[in-house]
Parts: sequence; structure tokens; C-alpha cells
Amino acid sequence: MSNSPSPNDDLEDDLTDDFVESVPFDLLLVPVVGRLLKWRHSRTVLGIPLLIVSLAMILHGLFGPTISPKNLATVLTWVHFRGALVLVILVAGNFFCMACPFMVARNAMRRFIRPRFNWPRGLRNKWAAVVMFALILFAYELFGLWSSPWLTAWIIAGYFLAVLVVDGLFKHATFCKYVCPLGQFNFIASTVSPLEVEVRDQQVCTGCHTKDCIRGRRDPRSDLVLVQRGCELALFLPAKAGNMDCTFCLDCVHACPHDNIGILSRLPASELMTDPRRSGVGYFSRRKDIAALALVFCFGALMNAFGMVSPAYTVESRLGHLLHIQSQASILGLLFIAFLVVEPAILLGGAAWVTRSCAQVNRAWLPLMLRYAYALVPLGFGMWLAHYGFHFFSGLYTIVPVTQNALASLGWPILGEPRWMLVGLPKYVVEPLEFGFLLLGLAGSLLIVWRLAEEDAGKRRIRAFLPWAVVCVGLFAASIWLMTQPMDMRATMMAG
Amino acid sequence: MRGRQVAAPMLCGAVLCGAMTGGCHRANGGVAGIAVKERLQPQPVRVGPSVVGVELSDTAGKPVSHAAIIVEADMTHPGMSPVFADAKEIAAGSYSATINLNMGGDWVVLLHIKLADGRKIERQMDVKGVQTN
Repeated sequence: MSNSPSPNDDLEDDLTDDFVESVPFDLLLVPVVGRLLKWRHSRTVLGIPLLIVSLAMILHGLFGPTISPKNLATVLTWVHFRGALVLVILVAGNFFCMACPFMVARNAMRRFIRPRFNWPRGLRNKWAAVVMFALILFAYELFGLWSSPWLTAWIIAGYFLAVLVVDGLFKHATFCKYVCPLGQFNFIASTVSPLEVEVRDQQVCTGCHTKDCIRGRRDPRSDLVLVQRGCELALFLPAKAGNMDCTFCLDCVHACPHDNIGILSRLPASELMTDPRRSGVGYFSRRKDIAALALVFCFGALMNAFGMVSPAYTVESRLGHLLHIQSQASILGLLFIAFLVVEPAILLGGAAWVTRSCAQVNRAWLPLMLRYAYALVPLGFGMWLAHYGFHFFSGLYTIVPVTQNALASLGWPILGEPRWMLVGLPKYVVEPLEFGFLLLGLAGSLLIVWRLAEEDAGKRRIRAFLPWAVVCVGLFAASIWLMTQPMDMRATMMAG
Repeated sequence: MRGRQVAAPMLCGAVLCGAMTGGCHRANGGVAGIAVKERLQPQPVRVGPSVVGVELSDTAGKPVSHAAIIVEADMTHPGMSPVFADAKEIAAGSYSATINLNMGGDWVVLLHIKLADGRKIERQMDVKGVQTN
């Protein structure tokens, strides 16, 4: 037996590579599930139960118990919805956007109201959504949204109203692409998902002249009649790369005349290791707004968890005394600016400066920062998973007594008396999961940084890798520290 | 078609108006003729055992005995484990229960009171900023 490689070995390697590349798992080919998803009305059918639940949450939030743990609006929003969302993104993809209840209402409205306007060119970016995302995090802390069923219900109702107004006036999926802060969270988080809506065979697209996936499928008798819309978020499938801006609506799947689009498996976060030109998005490294979204996503995860532990109140109290500020909003505003603007600027700016100096990477300072900003997404996602996963798992069964109570208060005690002692999984199960999520995030971020450093610095890759690795490990250490602090959940931050 | 176009905004408006008027908070449930005094000690409240004291009296100021009182404490954040305790009558009309507030933050303490004649009273105490040790 010879150990030297033979031509056959090379051929086998090529075949293996081809096999790995050409036969990913395709969710749309799975019996039953695939058929259901490929059904033209699947999105509506998935969204209707969530629409009903949303309406129940609004009603219960406005008219039900004022105590947060006993109200469907707060329990479902702040315990179950958030947790389920990040877990589904982790194990599958952006299926919450697919089943979005707001889109059911919007599509129903568009049967009667046709939008006339195009979204202003100057607003065709993520800046407004990034600001709104940060404002939601800010309002969450300032008003203790988790503790108010009434405010939570109004947020849900306000969301419906915003969707109907924006998409009632503006064409295409304007709300999803440029406005929805929740959607932006899902978009950036799903860059680490294992599934992606993708073309199955690029060659089929090369030979396609109708481009129905983006134009929509037209009636063969009249080109003016649209029988199936194409991608409303301006993602041209043959040039689409990654999950950014993809709502998993599957309009492209329904429109493609060649059945050439699937929900394919991929290496999670692989889209963050490269920087191709993405249809409807462009180059990540040139999109300051999306980089800002990635940073708010990552540092906002830490800020959001920080607001739930004891040291937060000590810091706020001392800051208030130091600056002679009594206003809760002002102190919180300063903390948000420090966490979401100053801290990322110092950490990323410093790492970029060291990378340029030591590894002699031939990129300007700002583009370098933007390029590596996306590497922090897995870390941020790990923190969101740990935080939301904690509430989800430790309060998993609380929905049972709350539903029992809601039905009983309506005079239908069909589920029996509320069992308030039903709570969730014990700490010894939840805690390892939290740390596992954080470790997973760190591993993902380090892997991306390594790949980027390899591409940027070649032989000096270790020098390019180290500064960013230090940033990642530092943020990971901060996450671990946060998770080990005693919880202290106050709706009034300055109290005590 | 015109009817539909008018109906949709009207329905939205009706829902919003209804919702806006429903923003009131539920008051503590009481029973005419019964006064309830409640207190929580020690102050300031810290993580760990706290004593809930309840005094019941009638309009004449006479203590009300033989009531069954369940004390329930919930965090204001949903998804956390509630704490329950039965209050014992330590003197005529005076009841006491020990609850273990096991986490820092804002709590809501509920008193579920059932009088000897079967009438029920619900009281709510907002306990802000329970401090960690």
C-alpha cells in the first residue's frame, strides 16, 4: 500500500467536495413539512394563529390582570416569544418573520388599499431601524416594560398600527426592510442560522429569462397581471448571499417556475466569514448602517442583561450622585451611549488600529472596523440566547396557569383552576444551557475573526487575529460575569 | 367595496378607542365594613425571609378572627416562581406569615383573605426594590 496520493485520490477528494457542496439538506424536500411550506398560503396559515394570540394578548394586556406574571401579554411577550424566537433562529432560521402576524393584517389590508408611494431614497437603509431598536431597549429599561401588561399590549397594538400605516402608504415590504426593529433583530441574528433560502442550482438561474423570483410571476395572457409576487425585499435569488433581509416569506419559492429554490442547510455564520456582494444589501463591509445594527445587536445584548442584575443599580446610583443628575432617563441615556456607542468605538477602533499597525493589513481604519464588526454577531447572539433562554426555560410552564386564569376569568374554566406553582426548568438545567450558549457564541466569533484575519493578513494572520480575539474574549468574560450576578429586576432603575 | 373601505378604518378606530378607555388599573378588592392593615418587615426589604403582618377589624374597630389568609408574592417580571405562605392568627384579628423573597427587584405581594363567613378580600402591596444582600 502506497501512501502517496494517486490521481484517483484527487478525484475522490473533488467528488467528496462536490458532494458536500451540491447536496445540502433541503427543508422543502422533507415530506409533509416541505409540502406545507411550499403551499402558497402557508405563510398566512402559520400567521393566523399568531394573529389570534396577538389579539388575545392585546385584550388581556388592556383588560386583564395588572400583575405582569398573571397576564398573557407580558408572559407571552417577555418569557415565551423572545425565547422561542432566538431558539428557532439558532436551530433553523428566521421562521418568526415567516409566521409574522403583522403581515397577515398587512396582507389583508392590501386587498383593499394599494400603496402608492415609494419609500424615500434617503431612508433606504437601516439607520431608522437601528435607532428604533436602541430606543426599544432603552424604553424596556426606562419603563420596565416587562412589568406592565398595559404598556406591553400598547406596544403590540402600536406595532400593528405602524405596519398598517407604513405598508398602507409605501410599496413593497417597506416596513420589514427599513422600519421593523424586531425584523432587523431577526435578520442580523439569522446570519448565524443553519438554514437559508437559496437557489438549488445556479445553472438553472443562468438559463432563466423571466426572473420571476424578483419580478413575480405574470399571467401568461397579460404581463400586467401579477399572479404571484416576487421578493418584496429586493433580493434577487441567484445573487442572494445569506439571510440578511430575508423574511423566509417564500414568495420566491412560489414564484420560481423551475422549482429551483430551497431552504438549504449551510455552516452557521458562514456568511459572516466572507464579504460577497449581496443582492438587495450590497457589501457588508461598506454598509455602516448594517455594521451599526450588528454592534447594537451585540452590545445591546450586554446592556439588556446588565439592566437585570444588581450592579446596574449601584452604577446608576453612583453616576447620579457623581453628575448630580436626578433624572432616571438622563442616567439611563448616558449608560446607553456609553454601552452602545463609546464602548464599541473604543474596542473596535483600538483593535483596528492594532491590526493595521502590527499585521500591516492593507485596509483603511474605518472599513477594517466595519469588516470585523460582523464577527461579534455570534457573541451577541450567544448573550441574547443565554438571557432570553434563561427566562424561557425557567418560566416555560408559566403560560399554563396564566391561560387557565384567563379562561376562568372569562367564565370558561375548561382548563381547571390555575396552577400557579407551575414555573419551569430548574436552575441546574438552565444554567449550563446559558453558559453553553455563551461558549457557542464565543467559538463562532473567534472562528469568523480567524477566517477574516487569514484573508486579510496571510502569514501575519495571528497578529491580525489577536486584537479581535482579545475583544471577543473580553466581551465573553463580561457576559459570564453578568450571568453570574444576582438578579435584580426593577421597573424603577434609580430606586434603592 | 366602498362599505369595506369605510368599515376597516372604523373597526380599527373602535378597537383603539375601546383599548384607550380600558387602561385603568384594577383597585384592591375589599369588603364593606372590614378594614385591612398590612405591613412588611423588616424595612428596607432585602432578599430572604420577610414577615407579612395583617390586621383585620370591623367598623367598630373590633378584631376579625378566624380568617384564612394566603400570602402570595410575585416578581414583577413574568416567568419567575411565585412564593406562597399561609398566615397564622397570632392574636385576635392579627395574622402573620413569613415569605421568602428569593430574588432582588420589584415584587408584588397579594393577600387572599377569606373571612369566616365566606366573604373574600384581595389586597395588593407593591414592594419596590428588594435589595440583594
